[in-house]
Amino acid sequence: MAEKPIQGEKRVFMTGNEVVAWAALAAKAEIMYGYPITPQNEIMHYWTRLAPKFGKRFLQTEDELSAGFTTLGGVLAGRKAFTATAGPGNTLMQEPMSMAEMMRIPSVVIIQQRGGPSTATVIYSQQEVTMTTYGGNGEGLRVVYSTANHQELFDYTIKAFNTAWKYRFPTFVLGDGYQAKMRESLTIYDPEEKGLEFVPTETFLGKAPVNGVKQPVHLRNTYNTEEELYEVITRYMEEYLKVAPEIIEHREFSCEDADIVVVSHGVVSRAAKVAVQELREEGLKIGYFRPVTLRPFPAEELKKVAARAKTLLLVESAFGQMAKLVKDAIFGSTVALENLFKPGVGITSEEIVVRVKEIEKGALAK
Amino acid sequence: MFGVVPVSERIVEAYIGEYASGKSEIAVNRAVDLKKEGRHVTLVDLDLVEPFYTLRPIKRQLTETGIYVVAWETSETMGLGEAGSLIKPEMRWVLRRPGDIILDIGYGVEGAKVLNLIEGAADNKNLQVFVVLNIGRPMTDNVKDIVEYVKELGIVHGLINNSHLGDDTSVDFVQQGAKVITEAALVLGLPVIATYIDRKFEFEINSKMDIKGNPIRLLDRYMTNTFW
Repeated sequence: MAEKPIQGEKRVFMTGNEVVAWAALAAKAEIMYGYPITPQNEIMHYWTRLAPKFGKRFLQTEDELSAGFTTLGGVLAGRKAFTATAGPGNTLMQEPMSMAEMMRIPSVVIIQQRGGPSTATVIYSQQEVTMTTYGGNGEGLRVVYSTANHQELFDYTIKAFNTAWKYRFPTFVLGDGYQAKMRESLTIYDPEEKGLEFVPTETFLGKAPVNGVKQPVHLRNTYNTEEELYEVITRYMEEYLKVAPEIIEHREFSCEDADIVVVSHGVVSRAAKVAVQELREEGLKIGYFRPVTLRPFPAEELKKVAARAKTLLLVESAFGQMAKLVKDAIFGSTVALENLFKPGVGITSEEIVVRVKEIEKGALAK
Repeated sequence: MFGVVPVSERIVEAYIGEYASGKSEIAVNRAVDLKKEGRHVTLVDLDLVEPFYTLRPIKRQLTETGIYVVAWETSETMGLGEAGSLIKPEMRWVLRRPGDIILDIGYGVEGAKVLNLIEGAADNKNLQVFVVLNIGRPMTDNVKDIVEYVKELGIVHGLINNSHLGDDTSVDFVQQGAKVITEAALVLGLPVIATYIDRKFEFEINSKMDIKGNPIRLLDRYMTNTFW
């Protein structure tokens, strides 16, 4: 059996789903639970091809509800477990992940968004933002990283395991069908050789006795009274808000003097980046803002940008799901909001350029 | 209009290999190259796992060059990709077509089994099955893994070196691929049919042979226009 999945670092050419499987191996994940759904299938395919070579395991469950709960079971037994899903599978996954929030069970879920609602398309969208950030019957006590390329899929999948186990909130890596199936080069590496330390897993259930005394572990997702629940959720929310600044990540450039700032996330932010660069070359005052964590959202960072800009152009492959997060984050700002919403469809840099010029023209006409 | 080439001299090639190894890109390039030689060429999209994605977006572009493309059209189907696997009758009988036939066969080992569904594939004397390999893919980045992988695939007549790193490709990397794949070919007792290299390196490599003496074929990138 090979010792380490990745020795040193190397430049490779892969699909995004393969990247996730390799990243989970690099992060020392021990078991994947899953149920097939396009466009994330090859995460399972590659994990099942790679896993036996490195003494790792896989369980195909009967559906995503079960995949989510068995993932949590694996974690409670002390295993570094993860799962992956998409679309309607993500809908089912919200029930187990709500339990993870309530019981503070670290868990990692990779989502490759497809078109919605329901079965819709197997291809692509950014329509799982609301569900992934605030799904389930709770308060959205979770972390969501929205990736834009294969290097980030690798880096953030590894990071998600540490985030989950460090803060004990379910952690999602939110990709999409384009990232899943697209092929591009990236550098894969052994994280520990780069100095990254993994947060150790621990056995929650069936712990060995300490000095002959068995320590009870009481994890609850059921409470008897309103007050009891209120006290727990208040404490969890305080903890969440306290660690949020450590977790929040975003990228921005050219915002200092920008009249219009393009706000986008995930794969769409690649088009936005090219559009902003092109428009800058033409001499237009355009900026770029991209939340990497959609939950917690980089609200303070965006507020600063909104305070200087005249207009935020919100661009996403959904009908305003990121826009809701933005509006919540910048509440009180008087910045104008424009949008380019294309639910379930990819967005090109050309389309963003055209939209920015329309807004510019409108502003001049006033 | 058909029958320009006698059946005995026609080229029938199936491109198989690891998912994302470049089968479709190589198959398309091969079809275009043969068409440029004035031959009659049929290109078949035989990815039954993702039957609607591979060549569909560039079908019209290829058809305009005179290649006969057998692939699904969006308008012919419903529930893209969710409707299960299916094969066009035209695909099943495609070896009955005259002229050169280039088969793009998707999805690794399981995909290779699709040849069982093609009428006449088992006893077709012209049929050559080539495995497309890229050492930039970790599952096939060394001699041992390549040998094991190719042995899983059933009948194979040759290997194709398609080593690259997308936009980060260098001539050195392609040559490194030639070394590894030629060594694997020796172990397997198979020929290396060609090394493919992006046309942008034509003058840098400045040779008709790679470092191991395999023929070089210049590659134009079509699949960047297909999304899937």
